[in-house]
Amino acid sequence: MKNIYRPFEATVEDIIVETPAIKTFVIRPKESFVFKTGQFIELTLPGMGEAPFTPSSDPGIKDRFEVTVMNAGRVTFLLHELPKKYSLGVRGPYGKGYPLESFTGKDILIVGGGVGLAPLRSLLFSLFSEINKYNKVVLRYGARSPDDIVYRSAIPEWSKIDKVDIVLTVDAPAPGWKGNVGVVTTILNDLPVDLKNSAVIVCGPPVMMKFATMKLLGLGFPPENIYLSMEKNMSCGLGKCGHCRIGKFYICKDGPVFTYAELKDIYDIWD
Amino acid sequence: MDNFYYLESARINELLTRLKKDYNVFSPGLKEPNFTKGTDYSYRNLSDNQQFVFNPYRVIEPLKSFLTPFMENAAAYFNPGKDTIDLGKTIVFGAKNCDITSLKIQDFVFMEGVEVDYSYRMKREDTLLVSGDCIDYKEVCFCLALDVLPYPTMGFDLNLSPVSDGYLVEAGSEKGKALIEKFREYFSEAKDTQVWARKTKREDIVNRLKRHLLAQNIPPKESLQRLVKDGYNLDTWKEFMLTCVECGGCNFICNTCHCFLLADTSDDNKNKRLKLWDSCQYANYSRAAGGANPLKARYQRLRFRFTKKFDFFMENLGMPACCGCGRCIEVCPGKIDLREVWKDLQNKLKAKQ
Ligand SMILES: Cc1cc2nc3c(=O)[nH]c(=O)nc-3n(C[C@H](O)[C@H](O)[C@H](O)COP(=O)(O)OP(=O)(O)OC[C@H]3O[C@@H](n4cnc5c(N)ncnc54)[C@H](O)[C@@H]3O)c2cc1C
Ligand code: SF4
Ligand code: SF4
Ligand code: FES
Repeated sequence: MKNIYRPFEATVEDIIVETPAIKTFVIRPKESFVFKTGQFIELTLPGMGEAPFTPSSDPGIKDRFEVTVMNAGRVTFLLHELPKKYSLGVRGPYGKGYPLESFTGKDILIVGGGVGLAPLRSLLFSLFSEINKYNKVVLRYGARSPDDIVYRSAIPEWSKIDKVDIVLTVDAPAPGWKGNVGVVTTILNDLPVDLKNSAVIVCGPPVMMKFATMKLLGLGFPPENIYLSMEKNMSCGLGKCGHCRIGKFYICKDGPVFTYAELKDIYDIWD
Repeated sequence: MDNFYYLESARINELLTRLKKDYNVFSPGLKEPNFTKGTDYSYRNLSDNQQFVFNPYRVIEPLKSFLTPFMENAAAYFNPGKDTIDLGKTIVFGAKNCDITSLKIQDFVFMEGVEVDYSYRMKREDTLLVSGDCIDYKEVCFCLALDVLPYPTMGFDLNLSPVSDGYLVEAGSEKGKALIEKFREYFSEAKDTQVWARKTKREDIVNRLKRHLLAQNIPPKESLQRLVKDGYNLDTWKEFMLTCVECGGCNFICNTCHCFLLADTSDDNKNKRLKLWDSCQYANYSRAAGGANPLKARYQRLRFRFTKKFDFFMENLGMPACCGCGRCIEVCPGKIDLREVWKDLQNKLKAKQ
């Protein structure tokens, strides 16, 4: 019988520096590993610790996957110090991910902030690979400064795809920045999407998620069409350790993606 | 009468000696008398010359300790050689119905859901539970208020009910029956009068507990979920947390609390993952990256403990994660009593109406 706390082995094949604080790790698992977009994994630094991350790569690629990690504390700091070829551990995939089947035929609006673009990139790749199933894909993304924009060089390529519409914003501009300045809610006016036939996906830091959700509700998006990627302290990733509870849910096993309708009666979800 | 047997007191120590050859046997012993707390019992790994003791009420430690120990080697990984887990067969005497009932919570957590914790399941399968009727209670006991009877009706392998000069033994599972078959010479057929005696004694303890609870004025079981939900924003939490010293005792001693933390270490270049009990009363319990912490304040953590027990588990399992054993009341250096928290919520909600 399988030991659910035991990771399987994987190797770091490449490391891409995205921003001063964010790196993408290309990981080749030694066992077969498939995930659905929006599901997460627990990544082990052998003997050192474990932390949850959402793969940022195309789920269609089967022999390797990528995670994009912000240096935010003990384990993520150690990850950022790693050399290539290093051996890591992986558990998962865990959680439910995005319900792509219910996005068919809709306008897809994606609202992201900071490193929140990591899981959203995996979603974008999934959508791009079957773009004919959706009316359009609209991305609204905010970062602190132009240097903090993740996947900055890839974004212009995405914009060229038919039916894809992207607007970026930064809190603090730098010389040469021609885009919007302001928090992400400032680029949520005049959205080219059909309120009644859309799916909205929000992922980013808690404050950004809170204000973006309030704004979207104000614009008239129905709570059951707003999908939120929730984040809490996690240990086990599979509904046993208790840490990630909000209300009657465990974020790890019942989420991490929830509709706002599911969460709206729970106190303090943004804390 | 199929499942009923009689075991003579005079022969129980001999039986235990036999059992110890094949099993790890744990059975309650008397703790050193403590005049402030009264007489207490505690599990011990029975050694050769120790006599069997029938505990009149629950022991100090939670039964979960045998199934999900406070520190466990959850996994060894990427090490040369084979990682083995060595588990022996165990018999635990002395569990009461509060203990047995709360294993429903542990079973739900570790054996259901998306995946099974196989270490828990193996321990569960390899542990025989020999429970017993309560013949007395502690001041802090309030099982009946939560519809938990002072004797088990299911979930045990064997149950002992004291009758004159011995025990009426009920087999509650195939495992229990098999044990009796294996040691058949110690067990005789139960007589109708013995089964009758058990019935009378059970009625008697229930009546005594009812009188005991009368004075406690505990809000009805059915209202507890509503109290913690509707009382979410009341001052109760802030008032009661004032004496909490964040020791975690209330969680660790509770037979339903199951939270744990995985921690990685490496000794002698061997990678290990430890599974350690965790407490939602600890400041770091929900701290996430960058210092964000949704349960920053003690009152939020006290409330979290209650919403987990009386809302989360009602929603997900249809029962509260409390069996009325009173252990958390007894252990708390801050004298935080969950019965008083309920009453305060009830009073404040009434006053608001
Ligand atoms: C579902 C999910 C998906 C995520 N996806 C991503 C992603 O794609 N990209 C990304 O950058 N981030 C992601 N995160 C956030 C990421 O998991 C955190 O940044 C990471 O856990 C931080 O770990 P740390 O050790 O670096 O931070 P720290 O702040 O050092 O620690 C974080 C937590 O671990 C605990 N902890 C620290 N050290 C120990 C120890 N020795 N023993 C026990 N506990 C300890 C702390 O108490 C704290 O609760 C995701 C989080 C979740 C829940
Ligand atoms: S909450 Fe307290 S009274 Fe209830 S089962 Fe746990 S320790 Fe016993
Ligand atoms: S036992 Fe009492 S003091 Fe200790 S953490 Fe629990 S409530 Fe706080
Ligand atoms: S991370 Fe352990 S229960 Fe969700």
